[in-house]
Amino acid sequence: MDPGARAALQRGMCRLADGDREAFAPVFAALWPVLRAFSARALPVAAEAEDAAQSALLKVFARAAEFDPRREALPWALGIAAYECRTLRKARARRREDATRASPEPVDARTPEDSAIERDLQAVAAEVLGGLRALDAETLLAAARGERDPSATFRKRLERAVARFREEWRARHGAD
Amino acid sequence: MEPIELRARARRAYERGRVRLAGKAAGAALLIAALAAALGRPPFLTAALGAALAVAAAALVFRGRASGRAVWTGLCAGSGAMLLPLGLATAGCRMFGDACMRFCLPACVAGGLAMGFALATVARRQEQGEGEFLAGGAAVAALTASLGCTLAGAGGILAMALGTVLAGAPVWLAARAQR
Repeated sequence: MDPGARAALQRGMCRLADGDREAFAPVFAALWPVLRAFSARALPVAAEAEDAAQSALLKVFARAAEFDPRREALPWALGIAAYECRTLRKARARRREDATRASPEPVDARTPEDSAIERDLQAVAAEVLGGLRALDAETLLAAARGERDPSATFRKRLERAVARFREEWRARHGAD
Repeated sequence: MEPIELRARARRAYERGRVRLAGKAAGAALLIAALAAALGRPPFLTAALGAALAVAAAALVFRGRASGRAVWTGLCAGSGAMLLPLGLATAGCRMFGDACMRFCLPACVAGGLAMGFALATVARRQEQGEGEFLAGGAAVAALTASLGCTLAGAGGILAMALGTVLAGAPVWLAARAQR
């Protein structure tokens, strides 16, 4: 904020503190972008930053009647915004702690990128499997489910099905 | 939240802030009235004056501007003028007997003089709205002082008002002449 705008904000806040309602619109117009930008820098999540900025703005106006004209208006308003950002950050950390405490089973450590790769591979494998004969596909799925027949016939059938799966994969994607 | 809605909520928050401030002034006015009642003023009259004072103080503070700024000055100056005859009636009569009651009227004049001087001195320091400040402050101070000056009847209130004008007017006129 340039010195001129800062001085105008100071004058506007003093007028608001004195009960001059006409100063409301210019103070709102000057403060809102500043608080929004400040919160966006302080909080990484855009929605949280917006919430913090709105909450800070409402608090600034709720306390405007008691604003001490000897104080600087901009640092005062930014102080309120900083407090709101800190409160939101603490609330988020508390929610995370509660969630960890509520689910003691191991948390999936995979990143969203890993999950997306795995989903792509499953889709491609299903596509390749669809191109095989029904008996080969059924044999591969039974082996994947752990329903392996200990007989030599099943073992031979599985070997042939895996070989055909590889061929089909290579034909479609050019690598194992 | 849409900007228009946010603006409307911010405006409501500001007005709520002013109501809170007005509530503090009204609370102070009621405390002063309670003090007057505790010092022996009749409850009905004190309640009526106290209610009028609380409403006036709250309305002026809520509105703001120069008359809103004058409320606390008026309450302080008026309290001094109220306590002078009340102190005389309670402590003085205990020490000197009922004869001291004849000093009630002069006490109201003295309280009015001090009140008028204090109000005019603070009003002349105002950068803008001096007249409004003086009018608002005088109204609140007069109501506050009435809580004590009714001890001498309507004459007590008139004496207090006369004292206020006598002390306040010269200070005020001198300040205006300097500008």
